[in-house]
Order: sequence, then C-alpha cells, then structure tokens
Amino acid sequence: MTSSQISPDRSIPVTVLTGFLGSGKTTVLNRLLSRPGLDGTVAIINEFGEIGLDHLLIEKSEESFALLDNGCVCCTIRGDLSQTLVDLKTRFAAGELKALDRIVIETTGLADPAPILHTLMADDTLIGRFHIDGVVVTVDAVNGAGTLTNHAESAKQVAVADRLLVTKADLADTDAINALIRGVRAHNGTAPIRMVSNGEVGPEDIFELGLFDAAGKSPDVERWLHEAAAGAHDHDHGQSKGHGHDHGHAPEGAHAGGHAHAQEGGIRSYSAIIDDPVDWAAFSHWLELVAAMRGDDMLRFKGIVRVSDHPERPIVVHGVQHVFHPPQMLEQWPSDDHRTKLVFIVRDIPAETIETTLAKFARIEAPRLRPAAEDGRHLSRVNA
Amino acid sequence: MSTSQADLVLRNGRIYTVNGNGDWAEAMAVKDGKIVAIGSESVISGYTEGAEVIDLDGKMVMPGIVDVHNHHFIAGASDLFELRFLPSLSYEEVLEKVRERAAQTEPGGWIIGGSWGSNFADRLNSLEAKKALDDAAGGRPVLLRDDTYHNRWVNTAALAAAGITRDTADPEQGEILRDPETGEATGVLLETAAAFVERAADEAQPLTPEQQREAASSAMATLNSFGVTAFLDAACMEYMMAALKGLDDRDEMTCWAGACLPATEPGFIFGKVGKELIAVKEQYRGKHVFPDFIKIFLDGVPPARTAAFVEPYVPDTIHGCCFCGATKMTVPELVRWVGDAEKEGMGVKIHCAGDAAVLQALDAFEVVRSFNGPTEIKHHVAHASFIREEDIMRFAELGVVADLCPIIWYPTPILEATKAALGEERAERFWPNKKLDEAGALMASGSDWPVAPQPDPWDGIEGMITRENPSGAYPGQSLWKEQALGLEKVLEIYTINAAKAMRIDEFTGSLESGKFADFIVLDRNLFETPEKDLADTRVLKTFFKGRKVFERT
Repeated sequence: MTSSQISPDRSIPVTVLTGFLGSGKTTVLNRLLSRPGLDGTVAIINEFGEIGLDHLLIEKSEESFALLDNGCVCCTIRGDLSQTLVDLKTRFAAGELKALDRIVIETTGLADPAPILHTLMADDTLIGRFHIDGVVVTVDAVNGAGTLTNHAESAKQVAVADRLLVTKADLADTDAINALIRGVRAHNGTAPIRMVSNGEVGPEDIFELGLFDAAGKSPDVERWLHEAAAGAHDHDHGQSKGHGHDHGHAPEGAHAGGHAHAQEGGIRSYSAIIDDPVDWAAFSHWLELVAAMRGDDMLRFKGIVRVSDHPERPIVVHGVQHVFHPPQMLEQWPSDDHRTKLVFIVRDIPAETIETTLAKFARIEAPRLRPAAEDGRHLSRVNA
Repeated sequence: MSTSQADLVLRNGRIYTVNGNGDWAEAMAVKDGKIVAIGSESVISGYTEGAEVIDLDGKMVMPGIVDVHNHHFIAGASDLFELRFLPSLSYEEVLEKVRERAAQTEPGGWIIGGSWGSNFADRLNSLEAKKALDDAAGGRPVLLRDDTYHNRWVNTAALAAAGITRDTADPEQGEILRDPETGEATGVLLETAAAFVERAADEAQPLTPEQQREAASSAMATLNSFGVTAFLDAACMEYMMAALKGLDDRDEMTCWAGACLPATEPGFIFGKVGKELIAVKEQYRGKHVFPDFIKIFLDGVPPARTAAFVEPYVPDTIHGCCFCGATKMTVPELVRWVGDAEKEGMGVKIHCAGDAAVLQALDAFEVVRSFNGPTEIKHHVAHASFIREEDIMRFAELGVVADLCPIIWYPTPILEATKAALGEERAERFWPNKKLDEAGALMASGSDWPVAPQPDPWDGIEGMITRENPSGAYPGQSLWKEQALGLEKVLEIYTINAAKAMRIDEFTGSLESGKFADFIVLDRNLFETPEKDLADTRVLKTFFKGRKVFERT
C-alpha cells in the first residue's frame, strides 16, 4: 500500500443504501427521490416497478434508464456494478447526462454489502473515479431487533453502516426503540442513528457521510468518533461504567437482554487514540497482516493516522474486511486534534489481539482499545 | 479377533521404549495391533497362552522410524518405472547407464531417472554434453534429475517434446541454461524450468491407477525395509493420495501416511494444488491416511543459488556481486496460508533452504501465533539447516518443528557445491542441530527420499552423531563437529519427536501400553555399537500394528 492523494473534485461519491427485507429501504429511497433539487444524482436501483416512481418519470429512454422530474436519474444495473458505474461516466462525458455529482446504490435486502464496498474500494477501473461516500442502513423499529438477532446478514449490514436509519419509528413504542438501539449499538458503536418516521428522509440524512465532506476537508473519522461519544451518551444509559477496559472475553455487564444476545454474535466496536506518531511502514504492514489473518472478521475499520514522516499531513485509512481503500494523505489535519484515531468494528476478534499485534507489528507502544460505544468522551489515551 | 489375552508376545529382548524416561523392557504383549503389556519378563506371563511368542534372543527392539519428509510416491514410481543411479556416478558412468537403459527402451520412449551430482552441473552445461546424451539415448528423450531434485539435465529430443527453443523465455524463478555463443539451450534446466520437460514426460507416459497403487505400495515396502512405519509425504498430489486411499481401502497399508498438500505446483508434479486440492482432501482420508498438512516451497537450494539468504552469495558472473536469492512469497502471503491452514486444522510445512527463508517463515508463524494464540497444530520449517543464530530460539518459542532432511549433515557433494556458492566458512555453519536441541526446539527427522537415494535412517543417525560421512567418503573431514548429538537424542528425533511433529504421537512413536505395536527388530544393540558402525545397522523385522510387514531374508 502506498499513500496516494485523490482529488475529491474528480472522484464521484457513492452512497450504498442497504437494509434487511422489509426494513423500509425502498420507502426511504422513494421519499428521497421524490425530493426536489436532486439534479446530478443518479440512483442505481434493483427494478423500476419496485419503488413506485412511475408518477415521477419524465422520460424512460430505455429499459434501464429513466429521468425523474426532480432531475434525478434512475438506472438499473446492467452487467456488473463497475461496468454500470463506468458507463455512467461515459454517458456524462458524451453529454447524455447533464450532471453527475453523486450516486446512490440500492442493494437487495439480503445482500452482504461487503462485496459492493470491495468493488468500490479496490476495482482498478473505479479507483480515483468513484469513492464510497457512506453506507446507509435502514433498520426497522418494529421488527429490527428480532431480525438483528436471527439473521447474520442483518447484523453484518448494521456493522458496516456509516449511518443508521431507524424506520417506522412512529409505529414502535419507546421500549422497543430503546431495545433496538441497544442491539444496534452492540454491533456498531459509532455510526450516527437517525429516527425516521413514514420514510421521511432528506439528502442530509443520506449524503456527505464520507471520507471527505463537501469542502473536502473533514474526514469522516472525526465525525464518527464524535458521534460515537454522543451516541453512547444518548442511547446507552443502561450501560455500566467504570468496569475498565474490556478484553472481549465476556459480554459487558449490565446490558439489557437484547444487547447481551447480540453480543453473542461476537460483533463489537472498538476505538483507540494514539498520541505518538506512527511508523507508516510498520502500520501498513500490520494492516496487511490483519487483512491476511482476520480479514473476514474485520467488518469495518477506519482511522486517521499521524505518521512520523509527515506528522502535519495525516493519512486516512478505511477498510471493509480484507480490502482496504488506498490510503489517502490529507493536506492538513481537519481539527486541532492531531492524534491518531482508529475505529474497529470486528466479529470475534478480542481487543487484546488487536492491541498485542498493533504493539508488535505496527510498533505502537501500549495501544489501548475501548469499546467504542461505551463512552466516546473517555476514549483511551496512551500514556494517560 | 481372538479370545486370548494377546495375539503376539515378544520376550527375551532388549526393548528400547523411547518413553521419555529412557526405559528398557524385556518383553511386550500385543493384542489387536496395540501394546497391552510391556516391561520385564514377568509382565507377559498372563499373555502367552494362544499368542504367537517370539523369542528375541537378546535382540534390540525399538519403535518404528517416523520419516517426516519424503516423497514416497515419486520414489516408488521411480524405483519401479525409472532409471536409478547414485549421484556419486561420474559423467561417463551416467552416460553408460543411459546407454544400457536405451537398449531396453523402445524407440521414442522416454528415459527418465536420476540422480546426478549437483556438483557437476557445470560439466553438463554444454552443447557437447547434450550431444553425448543424445547419442547415448539413441535419440530417445531423456530427463535426468539432480540430487537436489530441483534441477534437470535433458537432451535434444526432450527439449523438443517440451517445446523449448532458443526463443523460449526463462520462466519465473527458473532458468534454461544456454550456450553463451549460440544461445541454444544446453539441456540443463534450473528450478521451475524443469517443469517444461517434467510435464511433457508426464503427459507422454502417464501411470495407470493400478501402477500408481503399485508405486505407493513399493515405496512403503522400501520404507519398511529400513524400519520406517510412518511417514509424511512432503508434496502429495491428488493421485498420490488416491493411491494411498486405494491401498487403505484394501487394507494394504504398511505405514501411517501423512500428506502435505502443495499450496502451489512444485514444478515436477502436476495437478490440483492449493485451495482446490484442500477442497477434496477429505475423500482421501483413511484409517491410515491423514491429509493434514499444506506444503509451501519458499525458496530453492543453495548450490543453484536459488535459496534465499540474508547475506549475499559469493559473486559470480551470472548473479553479480550482491545476490542473496529470493523467497517465492511475502510474509503476508505466508500468513494468509498459515492462517487459513489453521482454520482447517492443518499444519504447514515450509521449504526453507536459506536463512532468509527460515527467517521469513518464522516471522509468518509469529504473526499467526500473535493473532491466534497457542495451538496444538504443528508447523514445520523443512530443511532447517541454515539458520541465523538469533532465529534458533524462535523454533522453541513458536513451537515450530525443525524438519531435519535430507541426510546431509556431514561432508557430501552437496556441501562442496554449497561451499562454492556461499564460501567455505558460511557453508560449514550447516545444520546447527545441537543449538536447536539446546534451545528446546522439537526436531524431527526426514529423509527427503528420493532426494536422498534411500530413505535410510541409519545413515542419518550415524551422521547426526559423528558429523562425518558414514560411507567413508571425505575421510578425516567432519561438518561442524560441535553440532553432534548423542544417540539417545537422535533416536527421539527419529521416533517420538517425528511422531509429535505429525501429531500421531498419541498412538505411535514409542513403545508404551495403549499405543500401536509399530516396532522394529535390529541386528545389533545401537547402544553397544561403535558410533562409526551405526550406519551398518540392519533391520531384521518391521512390525506395523503388530503385523510383520518386513523380514530380512
């Protein structure tokens, strides 16, 4: 892996919208695509009939391609995903598309989002032309907790999310919603959670979640960690505090039943803050080793790294299972906090394993992982 | 199954048990293939009725030999179907062997065999030598392997059959040696370049399934004759496992057989490898057949300068001044293989001829241990012979087996060729067996047969103790004498340690109640034999699961 810089101007953000069958994903997409002012947005959907947009269609030029009255273009996948994306660029270059500012991909409810993310991160024909803006996952306030418990696909979708939309929030009582949030937090301690009633979402709920914000400056990791703190504070009142740092051997104490059950699936989130600059060669070697050894179980990994060679220019890293996005070097730090921050969402990987291997192979002195949802305000600090 | 207390009773013997306490026994009783009593004469008193009783007449008995590294099938097939000659033969003698073989081979038929001494590769590397081989074979295609099994000497018809012309590019990690003036291939093929001709020969004369079973069976008969009752094939292809499973189904196995499934095609045997081979392994598992290892070829061999070293080779015209050789995989690639192997419950045997390959393999094992914690699975560094001082401790720390083979821990032609490549001083820091032992490494013996012309443990046992060539060659010379081991330790390396390395020590590898009666009767007591006569030891009888599978006549 080498550090490379990709201009955000040239690369098109791609949002992956997923969610289990019946979780309200299609309703969310329908509401989104009915909003005004979506010029330049292309939605890649499963089939036209499904989302009931017929009344919005201005022009269906061909079987797989349609223009909506709000300027949004809908298309279905032809061939594979990378071919479809490359084809959009070609149409844009040929003037067939007036604008191409962002893309949202709807996946099928049973889909494992990882292969799509791998394509977006690692396909040679897409690198530098498209990047992942974010993974948005719908979970259903009424049935979501059960789905999460009973379906591994649902748990994995939640684990890789950058943003979670709790749908049908108007149909569920507070206890059910709290139980669901505890379940979701057990799988993903960091992604912001938004309540959605009646499928009402706006572009702000879906877009610009990615590695770069619109100004091209603020890496998502900052926000992720920030939200982790807020999220933990808002939603995890039932969680015990002060039991020290968890090594992943047993479910954390004092959780509601649903939470504990989700823990049995072994999906956990951890974060770490590292004060000292990091040897990039050693760190990227460690990333390779993690991918080789535990790639299947490293569901999501993000980080902003202060490297010893150029501490003023951080490197952003981002991985889904064994595939890592080419590391990106930023021009400057997005905030005054210049420490390395790492966030992990893992399945059955004890924190201790991450700590010992970081120390040994990334040569980071005594790294300490904290359950990310436990309390983001008290994220561990080395030497603290 | 009989109703008597034992089927077989041995008495009046000197039974060396290798049970970890240095215990000797006089008598042993066997029932349904397993040892039911072992100790003094008195322990077998209740067992003799209805049993076959053998009076050992004071002969030494010990556990069967376990060979953790051989290529049984290739050797068996070679013995049955190929031309065999010793690497000590001269150039003229090799040509004479080919001439004799040609007389018995139909026109156009292949002459396949070995092994020529790797120390005269230079002599073979010329158009004149190729012409001589053409003439000796009467135009038939010839494929002769060297004593490292990594390199080949072939003739004009073989090159033509393989489609090698002066325009053929060298394959990755291999070389077609050429005449410096004309650019024509001389017939000497290094490393992966061997595959061209091996494949052509394989396709021209494939063995039938029955011949394949004969090859495996013949190999086991040879192994039994040297006292071997368990082995691990270090590169077992699907058809080889099928041959073993076929024999197991007919109840014709005379050894425990482990199989290492190659991760990548080794270049001299062909077929499914890696994940594809692992996917089918369970259909070949048998009562006596265990496909529980993966084999990785991480580098080549020192004489051909294909082994990977930390320090450069002696400069030569081809490689220049600072050539260290290279490994064929990176640490993360190795880590992936070893990690995946552990998920399957499999061990990994990594061929590491140079110290840089050893270092890299240990690094990979260390990564896997860091992620996975301790394990019962055994991984092997094969040919653990050139090892940096600071890496010796790591064998014990990481629980990695030092697979000692081939039997060249004393002066040999390979040592001479290695001196040319590494310089005398470095070449003689070869096989730090004593240091490995002191560090607490699990050391296990192998033969690498047919790289070693015979799977003869007695040669290896003497050599480990004397560090001198047991044949009397290189008189007065020894190899790093300080690394000599004592007989007790060496016998462990050849029995229980090797069984541990194969993870079959629960039921074989020593003579103890409850274990299978895998044992050998020797013509002498090793502990009363002068060191320099140990290689003359002959196995009189070999028993596998209490059944006699070899008797010297």
